[in-house]
This record gives sequence, C-alpha cells and structure tokens, in this order.
Amino acid sequence: MFALSLSRLLLQALPKKPVTPRATAQCIRSLTTSQQESLKKDDMPMKMENPYKSPLKTCILCNVTVDFKNVQLLSQFISPHTGRIYGRHITGLCGRKQKEVSKAIKKARSMGFMSVTLKDPQFIKDPDICGIKHFE
Amino acid sequence: MPRYELCVILKAMQRPETAAVLRRTVETLLERGAVVRSLESLGERRLPYKISKHDSRHTHGGYFSVDFHASPKIVSELLDHLERDIDVLRPTLLKKDPELSQTHCCGAQAEEAKSAASR
Repeated sequence: MFALSLSRLLLQALPKKPVTPRATAQCIRSLTTSQQESLKKDDMPMKMENPYKSPLKTCILCNVTVDFKNVQLLSQFISPHTGRIYGRHITGLCGRKQKEVSKAIKKARSMGFMSVTLKDPQFIKDPDICGIKHFE
Repeated sequence: MPRYELCVILKAMQRPETAAVLRRTVETLLERGAVVRSLESLGERRLPYKISKHDSRHTHGGYFSVDFHASPKIVSELLDHLERDIDVLRPTLLKKDPELSQTHCCGAQAEEAKSAASR
C-alpha cells in the first residue's frame, strides 16, 4: 500500500507536460541581453594574416647579380682540384641562378677571365658555400 | 641602338703604349659611328692560362672594358679589325641585355608555384 502511494505521489510531483516559460512582453524583445550580444561579437575570430607564416625560401644568390667579371664569386661554385662546375644538388641554388652561374663561368673561361682546369690559388681560402667534402 | 660591351685583353706593355692601343681602338669605334659610354680598366693581371697569339706566348695581360652603343652592322668589321691588331690578345664583344627585374627571384617564384599548385 505504502509503496503504491509513494509512487503515485512521485507521479503527481513530476510534470507530465513540458513546462513552457510564460512569455511576457518584456521577454520577447530580446531573448539574450545586449551585454551577451556584444560579448558574442567580440568572441568571433578576427581576420588577420597568418602569424605562423614561415619566411619565403630563398637561395644564396637571391638578390645578387651574377657577372662574368666577378671571378671570385664564380670560383666559389667550382671544384678547387679540377675546376669543374658543381651541380645543383651541391650548390643548393635555384634553377634560375644555377643556370646564370654556369653560363657566366663558361663565358669567363672563353673570354680569358677564369681558368678551366683549376681554381685560382688566391680564391682557395674563400668561405665554403657548397659544403662538399672532398676525398682525402 | 643596341648596347654592346667590348672586353679586351691587351698585351702587358708600358703605360704609353697601352694608352696608344686603347686610343686607336676607341677611334675605330667612333669612326664607325659608335657612341662610347665608358672605358674601364679591370687591372693588369696574370692570365688564367697561357694565351698564344700573334706568334708569341703570353702570361700577363691588361684587362679593359668598353661600353658603347652602336649599330649591329659594324660588329663583324670591328671584331676583324681587333683580331688583326698585334697588341690585342683576346677581343670579345657582348650584347648587353636589359636587366631582369630582381623581384621575380626565388621567393616570389616559390610562392607562385604554391598558389598555382593549390588551385
């Protein structure tokens, strides 16, 4: 008996239909307050440039003019033992600059500015750009 | 008129003689209606390899560069004249191209390639 009556009480206590809030005139105007609206607007993502953008990849000779008269610069891209021009995988230059350098070296050789089979002795101590390890 | 650059290697001589050679070279240029822009000395240095010219072997030479504007018709005549000159070891005539803009170098190229690939 008691159990039944308890359950009946519970059933009576629980609402059978969903409770709708009594909508008054004041409520209808704005379901959210103006403060909440401004907060929402501030919260939206702002349009900005990618802050994690990595710098553009450039090769060493990016803004350097390559001239056949500049024998010292050209000598940095040839082997000190044989005078051969290093390939792209060794120099690390972009396609354009590699072509310019090799053309300038060939021009300088034919015009009598640069040696063919060796590297000028005064340029041997120059800093190593290509990072090639010669067999020793 | 197109712009040319004449790079000459002269025999290692005393100063008055070198001056005389350069003078007659520039005079031939002016005779054929060229407008000489500048004459630069790139120094007297040891040649990168021994040059045999006009029946003698040379190890040292003076490098000079002449910048001028001229009509394309005189090019072959000029080179012929310089080849015959005893004191000139190696004459080279080059055409000066208008310089390419440096803005289209590596970084810009890579960007363009990326944007083209993403499309």
